[in-house]
Amino acid sequence: MVELVPNLLRQELGRLAEQDARIDGRARFEGRDIHLETNCLYNAEGSAKVTMGKTVVYAGVKFEIRTPWPDRPSEGSLMCGAELRPVAHRKYEPGPPSPESIELGRVVDRGIRESGCIDMDSLCIIPGEKVWGVMIDIHVLSDGGNIFDACGLAAIAALRTAVVPAERFDVGEDYTLPVNGTPIMASFTRVGGRYVYDPCEEEELGGDERIHITIGDEGHLHSLQKGLRGVFTPQEFAEIFEVAQEKCAELRKIVAKEEAN
Amino acid sequence: MGGYGDIQLLREDGLRLDGRKLDESRPVTIQAGILPAADGSAMVTHGLNVAVAAVYGPMEAHPRKIQRQDRAVIDVRYNMAPFSTSDRIRPGFNRRSREISKVTAEALESVVLVERYPRSKIRVEIEILAAEAGTRCAGITAASVALADAGIPMRDMIVGVASGKIEDTVVLDLDKAEDNYGQADLPAGILPNTGEIAFLQMDGDLSPEEFDLAMEYNFKAAKEIHEIMVEALQSRYQGGDK
Repeated sequence: MVELVPNLLRQELGRLAEQDARIDGRARFEGRDIHLETNCLYNAEGSAKVTMGKTVVYAGVKFEIRTPWPDRPSEGSLMCGAELRPVAHRKYEPGPPSPESIELGRVVDRGIRESGCIDMDSLCIIPGEKVWGVMIDIHVLSDGGNIFDACGLAAIAALRTAVVPAERFDVGEDYTLPVNGTPIMASFTRVGGRYVYDPCEEEELGGDERIHITIGDEGHLHSLQKGLRGVFTPQEFAEIFEVAQEKCAELRKIVAKEEAN
Repeated sequence: MGGYGDIQLLREDGLRLDGRKLDESRPVTIQAGILPAADGSAMVTHGLNVAVAAVYGPMEAHPRKIQRQDRAVIDVRYNMAPFSTSDRIRPGFNRRSREISKVTAEALESVVLVERYPRSKIRVEIEILAAEAGTRCAGITAASVALADAGIPMRDMIVGVASGKIEDTVVLDLDKAEDNYGQADLPAGILPNTGEIAFLQMDGDLSPEEFDLAMEYNFKAAKEIHEIMVEALQSRYQGGDK
């Protein structure tokens, strides 16, 4: 189903931007309330639920034993995938994975993988024979805008609670998956000519291009993605990068707080 | 049904492995209106099962060939999340989920007043987030509450319940071990107000007498779960958060 982008919405978002206002009353770089819950699903070895405004996302971690790649005999593997199923919004149709869902999964995957929070050598069981394959599946249940940040948060929170099911596979005792870091994503969309943080559904509908920034514990970049039609200047990027640093640090505290519970 | 092996499913004291009585259901919780993007939604936890349903519509039915001139069609998709089972499931439809989707749609078409919406479509999306035997029943219950939450007129709701047989004994609501090692499973979709049956499947081995007892248990469970369904809708619309 093609979403009609009403010109009226676009005009209204432009008018609001002139007054530095947003359609849901937030400040330009103000995020929506976030609720994070971990270890909420039986059968998943790690799981998390994230609610951000009208967006609801689950992530679950599963393990499998596989044969390592011949050129990397002592390394396990990590895969992160996202599904945008028709449950999440009336705009999503059933069928094979859409380019949007593939992009979403890959951007989250890169942020986690490139942060180095999982040591692939630690996933080795018998070099050259058996390694762990870690799979993070993200399930979007309600798309109320900015599913990228919700998915990124759910994925890392689920991963950080994962327990390796070694007993079930007869390769020793269960143990907590070592995860060294909490990479966090922050997303911005151009609305009414300027970037806003954590766009809601209407802002995505009447907005332009988006930028996703994943930042690690040390403040380093681990993944970037520019999506949709539009261009931006280095100055604009510098401004949102600074905001992203602050937002990612805040979200990392939410993950730590949930883990402490 | 799985093996008929030596696995003991009933304890010396006559109770089941998890301590339940023969005619005792696992605990059920229901929340209505949990997915803001949907027109109606519900989450059902039944034991360790977690089923979520979203309803969209009534909307234009397309492609046009699925349209019915005299009524709405109900398009159900039952899907298990990759992390919902012990071994990860590869995303996408399989034969099992297609069959469950089909019979669930037919059950719901029996209670929704589909003749009020000719040429339209009502989408029902059932997502299983955690599976511990009984997901199709939890899905039907969730779908019914989600349809009611969407304000779609129905003759009655459908309650998904199941009984079965373990160690030659009829029991209500099989859990995972009982489903794997039991002798029969009888899931049913019951209309609690009219006492009619909109959904029925069975596999295994049941005598006529065992079938009667299993259905008696199913009707008892339907009555109990129906109360929880009504409470979920009441708490959403009477002094609930919205």
